[in-house]
Amino acid sequence: MRIGKRNHTINMKPIKKIVLAVGILFIAIQFIQPAHNKSGQVLPTDFAKIYSLPASVEGILQNACYDCHSNNTNYPWYSNIQPMAWIMASHIKNGKEKLNFSDFGSNITRKQISKLKEIVNQIKDDEMPISSYKAMHKKASLTKEEKSLITDWMNKKAESLSVSN
Amino acid sequence: MTNIILGIAIAALSLTSCNNSNSKIAENKNANKDTVQVKSQADTSITPTPIVADEKATVTIKEIISTYLQMKNAFAKDNTNDAATAGKSLQAAFINFDIKTLSAQQAKTFADIADDAKEHAEHIGANGGKIAHQREHFIMLSKDMADLIKIFGNGGQTLYKDFCPMANDGKGATWISETKDIKNPYLGKAMPTCGSVKETIQ
Repeated sequence: MRIGKRNHTINMKPIKKIVLAVGILFIAIQFIQPAHNKSGQVLPTDFAKIYSLPASVEGILQNACYDCHSNNTNYPWYSNIQPMAWIMASHIKNGKEKLNFSDFGSNITRKQISKLKEIVNQIKDDEMPISSYKAMHKKASLTKEEKSLITDWMNKKAESLSVSN
Repeated sequence: MTNIILGIAIAALSLTSCNNSNSKIAENKNANKDTVQVKSQADTSITPTPIVADEKATVTIKEIISTYLQMKNAFAKDNTNDAATAGKSLQAAFINFDIKTLSAQQAKTFADIADDAKEHAEHIGANGGKIAHQREHFIMLSKDMADLIKIFGNGGQTLYKDFCPMANDGKGATWISETKDIKNPYLGKAMPTCGSVKETIQ
């Protein structure tokens, strides 16, 4: 009994220390906020500027894609809590590197075609939008109709660009 | 004048601060001028020159084609890892292509195709284990390769442009092969001989 008790008190101390350390760390990291991805302006190279985009397609892209694939993220309330903001910032950085709708027109036609096809593939394979994003954004969970609306449009656009290229 | 020297010294220090065991010196603007200068001389002597692709730019069109063919053969055998390895090599080959032998117009055309193709190669290289995703990029890469060969030639090797109507979800896809026999890189072992030669590139 005595030995067990002693062990108990010895074990409590480091746990308390860890909890305290984690708590302090949590507060400390709140002060390190990454810059927000919000340019507020629409570039002439914007996807919706270079192509005539049906409102339905643009709406889906805005709800399900633009947060990570454009220069304007619509930030939710929890985006100010660390480490959420860091995770989001890294998702946005990676997302924009692969595909940035705000800057789509700066790609040469060959690359625009590739990107359009890649968007279709990613949606079809259910790789995009990523599941962690869909869990937090109900509108990003696309219905079958929404998916085919986007993929049909992207496929047609890619085809028309291939012909004119 | 001393301000300029100091400025340059600080700039040099901040550039090389990774190699500097005492990086505080860079911040200490009021440090003794002589010390800073001596330190900066020592540091600039070890400042590495930026890596320029030109030095290694000896890759020819023939090597780009042969790396592509390695990838194609890996896909024909359903070998996702070999395809990924070839993807990395192909990406490097596009970056290190010897552009000096080309005219300005040719260089522009090459850059346009390479800009797209190297991204596909990169995706294939980074997605070992996800062969379906790799093959999606291989469809687009093969289109780039066909255009590249049309403009820059076959590198002295007889090549065949093949087409399989069943690939790409029934939309069909082309690829370049070095053999007259069909070895389908999109359907692999499931349907190795689907497709036909559409063009012989001599």
